[in-house]
Amino acid sequence: MSDRVQDPFARGILQQVAQGGQQAMEDCIHKYGGMVWSIAERYTRDRSSTEDVVQETFMDLWKSAKRYDPAVASEATFVGMLARRRAIDFVRKESRRPQLEPLVPDDTLPHPDPMPSDSVRWEGEAAREALKLLSAETQQLFFLHFDEGFTHPEISEKTGLPLGTVKTRLRRGLIEVRDIMRRAERSQTSISSNP
Amino acid sequence: MSDQEDIQRRFEELEAGRALGDLDAQEILEWEELAKNPLCKPDLSLEFAASALEAESLVQGAPSLPEGLMNRLREDMATFASPEPVGRTIARPVSWRKWLSAPQTAWAVAAAFAILLAVNLLVQTPAPSPSEPVIAASTPEQSREILRKKAVDLFESDFGGIGEYRQMSGKVVWSDELQEGYLTLSRLPANDPTASQYQLWIVDPTRDEKPVDGGVFDIRPDRETTVIPIRNALAVNDPKAFVITLEQPGGVVVSKQQIVVASAAPL
Repeated sequence: MSDRVQDPFARGILQQVAQGGQQAMEDCIHKYGGMVWSIAERYTRDRSSTEDVVQETFMDLWKSAKRYDPAVASEATFVGMLARRRAIDFVRKESRRPQLEPLVPDDTLPHPDPMPSDSVRWEGEAAREALKLLSAETQQLFFLHFDEGFTHPEISEKTGLPLGTVKTRLRRGLIEVRDIMRRAERSQTSISSNP
Repeated sequence: MSDQEDIQRRFEELEAGRALGDLDAQEILEWEELAKNPLCKPDLSLEFAASALEAESLVQGAPSLPEGLMNRLREDMATFASPEPVGRTIARPVSWRKWLSAPQTAWAVAAAFAILLAVNLLVQTPAPSPSEPVIAASTPEQSREILRKKAVDLFESDFGGIGEYRQMSGKVVWSDELQEGYLTLSRLPANDPTASQYQLWIVDPTRDEKPVDGGVFDIRPDRETTVIPIRNALAVNDPKAFVITLEQPGGVVVSKQQIVVASAAPL
């Protein structure tokens, strides 16, 4: 359940972290540390690297907590996004390691950060509702990736689908989930303004 | 479908790949090229959507972190945490004007600031919208160097020690766009955190007369040079001066500016 549903008016941990509250930082680690660990572990599959990704994620969080807007995303979504970025960057760097020539010119994929211009609040419950509107096949791929933590090649092996098909379906499915959430928000806004 | 729509559609697909972490090297180059196109505007929506699908289900029942890692996180935390209690009134001295007229303030700083203030009053430029600095680094020194490479609007300015702190030297680096900055301070006397703490103030006349609290920090005796991340409590749009005072432990709500340690005025 999202933090929005649990306590819509409470001042969140991240807003306290943004003010440099040490106790809030400690609370934040206790609340989201395990989640960050689970995300990192899915990508690194190695304890030492998982620890590094978790540490980098929280460093990012201390610096960027002041950007957090509870109207835009739930805390878990915001922290999870930072964890996913660090984990994905880690995998990219690792994949370059055996190469004699760098595959890409920079260590880190750029992370442009403009907040979405729509008024959607990005949180788990709404995203899961949107996911239900996708085809059963695509939902299955999402289940394997987001819930079971399988990589794309593993999903390809498990389902027998070509790797390219797995990638394309996940990408298009993600775009679809986002667009459904946007449409739902617009429809909600329209109903609110025209009772 | 038009060429423009094809470009936007392709970029959106690459954005989804970026959010899912499955772009290959060729696609990354393609994404970087397309991102320069005004038709292609990256934002966080797909990353948020992916995280919303994954993160919240992992909050419940997630494993506890190993003790060794917890200790490392606490060490990092200490660099960024403010000793002040959460939720207190934002601490700001009475007025930045007092510093500028104070006899101990360096003439050069005051003159530079006066010019800048006049220019600022004549040319009211809109503040750039801040973007989220998400930069991987494990120490403030590394973070500062990454900021130096990434920020396109970075400025640097030297600190000048005042009075008995004349021997100190330092630098401030700051990016308005990223709302991130660091102090690099040398020969600043170590403080006893139970007796007093240094506090940074940022003078930004575009906000109001009162300086913005930039955070409380300590100087340890075992370090020749210390790098301090700036923790501005409010957005800073156009800083005209950075001032360090020595205050009671935890900092103050209203500074009496009895001990002004150093100041820097970016040009």
